[in-house]
Amino acid sequence: MSLQPPRDKRTALADAVALVADGAIVALGGGLSARLPMAMVRELIRQSRRDLHLVGSAHSIDVDMLVAAGTVRRCEESYVGFEQDIGLAPAYRRAAEEGSIEVAESCCVTILAQLRAAEMGLPFLPVRGVRGSDIGRLHPEYAEITCPFTGETLVAVPALRPDVALLHAPVGDRYGNLHLEQPYVLDERFASASRAIIATVDELVSPDEVAAAGVVIPAHLITAVTEVPYGAHPSSCYPRYAYDRDHLREYVAAAQTGPDGAAKYLAAYVHGTGSEAGYREVIGAERLSVLATWSESTAAWKELFA
Amino acid sequence: MSVTLDEWFVVLLARTIRPSETVFHGFGSPCAQVAMHVARRTHAPDMVLVEGATYAVNPEPLFIPPTSNDASLTHGAAYSMRFEEFFDAAVRGDVDRMFLSGGQIDRDGNTNVTAIGPAGPGPADRPKVKLGGGGGGCNLAATIRHLTLWTTRHRSGRTLVETCDFITDMGHATPLGTRAELGYAGEGPQWLVTELGVFDFPAGRARLRQIFPDVSVAEIRQATGFALEVAGDLRAVMPPSSAELAVVRSVDPLGVRKSEFSPRELSRVFTGGAAQDCAC
Repeated sequence: MSLQPPRDKRTALADAVALVADGAIVALGGGLSARLPMAMVRELIRQSRRDLHLVGSAHSIDVDMLVAAGTVRRCEESYVGFEQDIGLAPAYRRAAEEGSIEVAESCCVTILAQLRAAEMGLPFLPVRGVRGSDIGRLHPEYAEITCPFTGETLVAVPALRPDVALLHAPVGDRYGNLHLEQPYVLDERFASASRAIIATVDELVSPDEVAAAGVVIPAHLITAVTEVPYGAHPSSCYPRYAYDRDHLREYVAAAQTGPDGAAKYLAAYVHGTGSEAGYREVIGAERLSVLATWSESTAAWKELFA
Repeated sequence: MSVTLDEWFVVLLARTIRPSETVFHGFGSPCAQVAMHVARRTHAPDMVLVEGATYAVNPEPLFIPPTSNDASLTHGAAYSMRFEEFFDAAVRGDVDRMFLSGGQIDRDGNTNVTAIGPAGPGPADRPKVKLGGGGGGCNLAATIRHLTLWTTRHRSGRTLVETCDFITDMGHATPLGTRAELGYAGEGPQWLVTELGVFDFPAGRARLRQIFPDVSVAEIRQATGFALEVAGDLRAVMPPSSAELAVVRSVDPLGVRKSEFSPRELSRVFTGGAAQDCAC
């Protein structure tokens, strides 16, 4: 999509997420336990989206929940799981083992090269690596090429142009200027490479405030912006809140028991809540405010992870 | 002084880091993560430590959290790299060492973090167990200078295998060829540290070099899926110094390193060893 003129891009969450079509290539911002676009993930599930092709680097509950809800056809991430602490991603694992999703596991470096090719309007970029790994077997679209200058054999990987990127930031303005904290992971690359970018922010603030904090992703790349407090929960969105480890454990324990357990979780926290306001109510204001206590002291921060 | 296996293990990983190296750990790797901070606060104060998911350079975290992508891991860092900055540095050859683990590891040092059983693009390739995936390893293993491999599941008999079901990250050689044949500048695995002993890779093949004092070579042979080669000068692993131990405990007060070990391994306690003030 061409660069966007400045206009008020505030959009209701349901309308913003309705821009994601069945079968779309969807880029997920953030990574692991941080700044995952969870409000949009939940809304995609409420809207019963189907056949999505997810792309991203290292992800966790966002991908797993979308798979558990039956919204996904193909997964193309470098990792999906809950690290050593909580373990394998239960729904993703089950779907891969049953063959109900296509797993095109990728590599952070390769995805980065593919996004950069899209950003530069090039059909491909080469990477050094991949050969010697079986990851290439999962990607018949890769091709070996000979460098015309050095004669080296390299692997050409095609441009990756997501249909839509879903990004979450702590603050943004009505035009879509976003400020976020490091690590940005692939958010900046997704913002340039994708056809449309939908952002949620914990708080909409004035353009002056975003400018003062520093614009990381500019309004001219953004299609729609929506204010959703705690929109990354149960992942973190610093400097506002840490991740909700207990909730991640609750999700994983439920999903590990099988499709019924995952369905029960989704009924309680996604379908049953009806909206993000309903979701925050079910999680509870007290619990959410505890996640913001990380900055009070080292002891308080540690306590969240003990 | 008593030492637990998890403390000792982390110290062994830390000792694979040489002074002045630029070192990286993958996410979800608490033992390697703690080890890097131990090395920086003991024998390698001038190393460049890059955190595994925040890409913070030389942070001084007040504790190690149970997730790699947490702001606590940028505490005290003057600078955090962008995702692109780190991966660019690694693929152009500016990173000296990376820590890698695997659900399966073979004698050539190839690792599998993708799937147990078949894995491929076709419907016939359904895995028995889908693992999490390799992050950036599939490219980084080609260009990062040295790799330190580790596993805390050697004793299971399922981790050190004759052949990996799937090679996520290349070791010294795969059926496609050697590193030299593929034109890779990275030198491949240098060490493999397990909860039973330490392997090196002379001629690109894993060889048992050091052994924990409560383990026999016969036990290690039984737990190892490839033909075990033993160094002529096999010796016991060197105990941690009191300085190293103190740093392990202060860097990791939440004990996240323990999440990598089975209860049996966590119950291993070593007392009255010849712990020295210095590991040199």
